[in-house]
Amino acid sequence: MNAASQNHAARLREISRLVDDRPSERIFQVDRRIFSDPAVFDAELRHIFEATWNFIGLESQVARPNDFVTTHIGRHPILVMRSADGKVGAFLNTCRHRGTVVCPFKQGRQKFHVCRYHGWAYDSSGRNISVTEEASGQYPPSFSNQNHDLLPVARLGSYRGFLFASLSADVPQLEEFLGDTRAFLDLIIDQSDSGEVEFVPGASTYTFDANWKLQFENGLDYYHFATTHSSYVDILKKRNATAGPDAGFTVEPGGEQEGQGSFSFDYGHAVNWSIKRTQLYGRPLGMDPARLDAVRQRVGSTRAKWMLRQRNLTIFPNLQVIDILSAQVRTWRPLAPDKTEMVSHCLAPVGESAAARTLRIRNYEDFFNASGLASSDDNVMYEFCQTGYDATSAAPTQGYLRGVADIGHGESAHTRELGITPSEWSFGPTSFGGETNFHPGYREWHRLLQHAAGETA
Amino acid sequence: MAGGAIKQTDVHAVAGATIFREARLLDSGEWADWVAMYSEDAVYWVPGWLDEYTTTNDPDTQVSLLYHDARRGLEERIARIESRKSITALPLPRTVHQISNLEASETGPDEITCHSVFSVHVYDPRVAKEHLRHGRYAHTLRREGDTWKIARKVITLVNDRVPTVLDFYSI
Repeated sequence: MNAASQNHAARLREISRLVDDRPSERIFQVDRRIFSDPAVFDAELRHIFEATWNFIGLESQVARPNDFVTTHIGRHPILVMRSADGKVGAFLNTCRHRGTVVCPFKQGRQKFHVCRYHGWAYDSSGRNISVTEEASGQYPPSFSNQNHDLLPVARLGSYRGFLFASLSADVPQLEEFLGDTRAFLDLIIDQSDSGEVEFVPGASTYTFDANWKLQFENGLDYYHFATTHSSYVDILKKRNATAGPDAGFTVEPGGEQEGQGSFSFDYGHAVNWSIKRTQLYGRPLGMDPARLDAVRQRVGSTRAKWMLRQRNLTIFPNLQVIDILSAQVRTWRPLAPDKTEMVSHCLAPVGESAAARTLRIRNYEDFFNASGLASSDDNVMYEFCQTGYDATSAAPTQGYLRGVADIGHGESAHTRELGITPSEWSFGPTSFGGETNFHPGYREWHRLLQHAAGETA
Repeated sequence: MAGGAIKQTDVHAVAGATIFREARLLDSGEWADWVAMYSEDAVYWVPGWLDEYTTTNDPDTQVSLLYHDARRGLEERIARIESRKSITALPLPRTVHQISNLEASETGPDEITCHSVFSVHVYDPRVAKEHLRHGRYAHTLRREGDTWKIARKVITLVNDRVPTVLDFYSI
């Protein structure tokens, strides 16, 4: 190891210590600098986003041969394509010749992608099919020995149509990485009789001027809901006074204890969920009793019960899947320490009724994104936090301790129902809003930085 | 032109008066008066974008940026802001709507269709940041008694990567 890399490793270790995690002392603190320091931000892109599995889309976005979508992993532009013979591939969206972005479009269908700069061409399997005027190029022999194909990502995997990719090969198998989060993806996917989900056409992209981890935390945070979203709750309560059966309200089975809980998993993932007697909103699955019965027959009453509970799933580092009044898949792309781009899709089971689909869309528009009545408040709140984090000399924030006095380990009634073995769980009254489910993300953040520094975590 | 039909100059005058008044009421925060310009069953629609060239065309099967099929949806948005509980309005951004390229034509009995373009300058006094939303309006105006109501407004937002908040006052 040379001096430069030793310095880099030392800096990464120093950054990783900004998360102060001492479970036996019941201390969990996050230094404010983690949200604003450019050195932290660079380390996160390189050693977290560009070093582990990222969600890059649904297989159904590239359903047919030669379909493509473009996205990002960290800073890297990515081109996802289905080849002419039906195989999904993910490639760095950069020409082998001079680095030009090969495909500048969001999505479409093309057999070939021709670089606009000098005309090098690639087919939908990423293979280079033309180096323009190669014969007259006076290339040295070494050139023809080089591979000119688009560079594939190091790892690509799919879990029931959810595509994940990693720029580093030094990652666990996808199944291991996802672990028990698969049970929560299943709870959405199995709402479809055919076991397929799709994005409803019409994605939203928006930005907020705050660090990406504000979104990561907020998606796991029920504590904020009553305060931040009180204006939205007022609207819902008013609407609910006159809501008919079409609103999709369902009831918990008798004997269920109301409450709010979370599960923490390895590799940074977590889910928060709630059991409520009085719902604030209905959901598409609840609006058609016959269809709900059919789903219940197919998946069993226990899993059907969980399908009707609100669940916010975070798959670290870039994905949240929210199944509440509608279903949302949202990903974030860090643009700067204080700027984040969000891409949001409405997620839907294939095969639901037209009425359920329309309710899903209306509910999604109502709640989510910069134009929604709830998420817009979150976006502004992130910016308020980012401004407050400029008080760098202030003590660490006190936002990671709700639930720390009573962290659950091993089995619970809820883990048994779901057949999962989370590393930790929490459960409290509906007003609980635990914060221990932020910990796994920060532990994975710490592990990846330590790993990059060459230490054993 | 059939007997009793309004003249083209009147059509253009009605359209301009309505659309410019709407812009002024939005910028001055006179939202009760603004929303009263809409008929009760008004459609207020900001389509999403499917790709670089195409907007969504069916709100029931595709996701819009905003879609309300009754004035009530706009009234809820106003009530949310006026409750002083939504942080998106604490403080509320200042806006200036600029509208031009207005074309208007009579498209039915007591119905005028207008096309125009807009720029909305949005300034957030909280952080002294500003941004510009721009796009196209298509208004359908309908005569209800002595007044012209907005029966339908379709807003094609050209720059749809939205910073932080998108609401009725910023487009």
